[in-house]
Amino acid sequence: MYKVALIGNPNVGKSTLFNSLTKSSEHTGNFHGVTVEEKRKIIKFNNSEYEFIDLPGMYSLNYFSFEEKVARDIVVNEKAYRLVVVDANSIKRNLYLCLQLDELNLDYKILINNYDYFSKNKNTINIEKLSKLLSKDIEIINAKKIKLNDNLLKNLKINNNFNKKIDENRNFSNNFQNFNKNLIHNNNEFNSDFKIKPYLIDIVNELKSTTNLDIKSIIYALNGLDIAIDEKYKSIINKSIERAIKARYDYIDKVLSECVHFNRNYIYGSSKADKFLLNPFVMTIGFLALFLLSIYVIFFLLGPIISDALNLLLDKILYTPIMNLLYMNFDNLWLIEFVEGGVFSSFATVVSFLPQVVLLFIFLTLIEDSGIIARMAYVFDDTLSSFGLNGKAVYVMLMGIGCNTMSCMASRNMNGKNLKIKTAILNPFVSCMARLPVFVLIASAFFSKFAFLIISGLYILGIVLLLIIAKILNKTILPTKSSELLLEFPLLRAPDFKHILVVAKVNAIDMLKRVFTIVLSVGIIVWILTHTTFKLIYTDTITESILFKIADKIDFIFTPIGLNSAGIVLALIVGIFAKEMILSTFSICNNALDNASLMLSLSLATSVISFTSASALSFLIFSLIYAPCISTIAVIKAETGRFYMWLGIIGEFTIAYILSFIVYQAFTRGIVFALVSCIIIAIILFAVIYLIKQIKNKKIKCLFCSKCNRK
Amino acid sequence: MSLNNVKLNTPCIIKEINVEEKTKLRLMELGLINGAVITVKNKSVLKHTLLVAFNYSCFTLKDNLAQLIEVNYV
Repeated sequence: MYKVALIGNPNVGKSTLFNSLTKSSEHTGNFHGVTVEEKRKIIKFNNSEYEFIDLPGMYSLNYFSFEEKVARDIVVNEKAYRLVVVDANSIKRNLYLCLQLDELNLDYKILINNYDYFSKNKNTINIEKLSKLLSKDIEIINAKKIKLNDNLLKNLKINNNFNKKIDENRNFSNNFQNFNKNLIHNNNEFNSDFKIKPYLIDIVNELKSTTNLDIKSIIYALNGLDIAIDEKYKSIINKSIERAIKARYDYIDKVLSECVHFNRNYIYGSSKADKFLLNPFVMTIGFLALFLLSIYVIFFLLGPIISDALNLLLDKILYTPIMNLLYMNFDNLWLIEFVEGGVFSSFATVVSFLPQVVLLFIFLTLIEDSGIIARMAYVFDDTLSSFGLNGKAVYVMLMGIGCNTMSCMASRNMNGKNLKIKTAILNPFVSCMARLPVFVLIASAFFSKFAFLIISGLYILGIVLLLIIAKILNKTILPTKSSELLLEFPLLRAPDFKHILVVAKVNAIDMLKRVFTIVLSVGIIVWILTHTTFKLIYTDTITESILFKIADKIDFIFTPIGLNSAGIVLALIVGIFAKEMILSTFSICNNALDNASLMLSLSLATSVISFTSASALSFLIFSLIYAPCISTIAVIKAETGRFYMWLGIIGEFTIAYILSFIVYQAFTRGIVFALVSCIIIAIILFAVIYLIKQIKNKKIKCLFCSKCNRK
Repeated sequence: MSLNNVKLNTPCIIKEINVEEKTKLRLMELGLINGAVITVKNKSVLKHTLLVAFNYSCFTLKDNLAQLIEVNYV
């Protein structure tokens, strides 16, 4: 099997190329750092197997962030053919990485992407000349349209020569030819596996004479690879690295001056629209209005029509024929109820929200593809920095609207450990798409006229809480200095409808997969446990079932927040597996087969699960915050460790409980009681924060471990 | 001199900055230092973040480049 790694700077089109070559649908976007871990796919082509590896973007082998380290380690350690994707518009910066690969004798082929836009702006590259000057195969591609072809792979096999000699017959101009030949001559003095690049000769020579390092180690050190260096040589090495960077750029300038013509008035990434978009007021109000409007249109204007149509369709093609078949052929009531309640109820309500969820994903893709996210990161960086976060957190939050699991993974894009931990553990405050159907259904059932306002309020509440907790963490256990926001501005571009269709298809399939795996299987388990007694006998009285008896024992915990029904407790527990399960559990317990009947049953006091207006609002707030789903918890643990995972879970549950308590008590016992409660809770919170600060400042002994010497 | 004191849309060259070594190396690797002509295209509300154009493309930079030692206007 041949391995082919796709390497390059961030946002040059590696994932797009990966998708085109392997016919995959990996997440792409017009933003720096969309890919945070390598993706692999094996495909067969011309009777051979190829494993394509899509790597996170990297500017240099000297990594600056975690995802760059992932990419660097694979580039250096894995024996794979290398395709370096270069954006024509920032070719100078992109070639820097190519030179580093050359220095390590790692062969590669250059694929120049986005050439159309480059040439449209009166810029040109003489590819043939560039190829000769760099001694590399270079091909202009369109990452969106390219298909796996013989040429691409054949050339790779031929060119995978790890010790390729520098070509002395390059087509340089006279002046440059002399400069280069002279250096190549010097190069022959080294008897080494490494063919030292001409521009590094002086630096390597000097380091060889001043340190005890061999040539291989010197080249590794100049490229920022991890090698053991004596402390006394570190400052010399650092100075040499700076000189090497300058030498590489001088070399690139010389090469480009031979074969690239730049339009001097042209700046990639900058556009006239930015004057308008980079206004903080326009960006804040504009985005919020656009997002909430899309929710209103998708879930409140189109939503009921789509859901009703889908429910009708499901009823005609699935529910009625199957149930008729069962009624005609089976007398067993247990089996019929199982299919109706356990199978249909568990997924019918969730599936009816599928089109709306897909439409909202399309909206998010439009934002991602347009290049607006980088602008948002820039505009909100000042504000987020004052809360101990960073402009890049905008991207993590936006991804969180789609899926918290994916966005927690994206937190590794943040520079700095504390910043990464904060972003990961606070991310679940942003309501994900799986929670939205629960909000829409409950809010529509109990606050019909104000449903949209309540949902908007829930999103805003989530963001406000995230910022407040970020500030508290910044002041206590996770302080962050003002961090760098080093972000390349992508070009604003019109959405690609083919890509949008792919996103719609991928998200629809993904949601259906979840429905027919997690939702259906957990739904069946919930149905069995809500229809079986402790004596393992079938019962149609849910209150006598195993799960209800267990939930009944702990529902007193939720009485102060108005959720004192065993069914609601059950839904919240099951919701930790997947948030969609909350609606499924409601449907199973109330035996509802569509949205309308479920909404009606939830407002009837005689139903197994029912709410009042106060408890419904309390439930909405509690379910917004109480805990992330199990896959998000797993990612948080992987990214931040066990301690911060538990801190996040316990913290979120506590905040959810406190807020729900205040809201429920304000509705039932009056505003005075709620205010007094608020004051008491605030005092307790300040005391806890003060205690943590004192421990941190070593003024009092740490209570958390016996080994700790803090006083 | 602070980078956020640099006039908008005025080409200049950063001669030297005083940030931690890792950041400095990255800024050099991106081509910001060592003679690249830069222009500050935009300043954020609190001027802690700047949009800077250099090498034919745009980058956002923090004002921790505030300990900028020397800017040469072109």
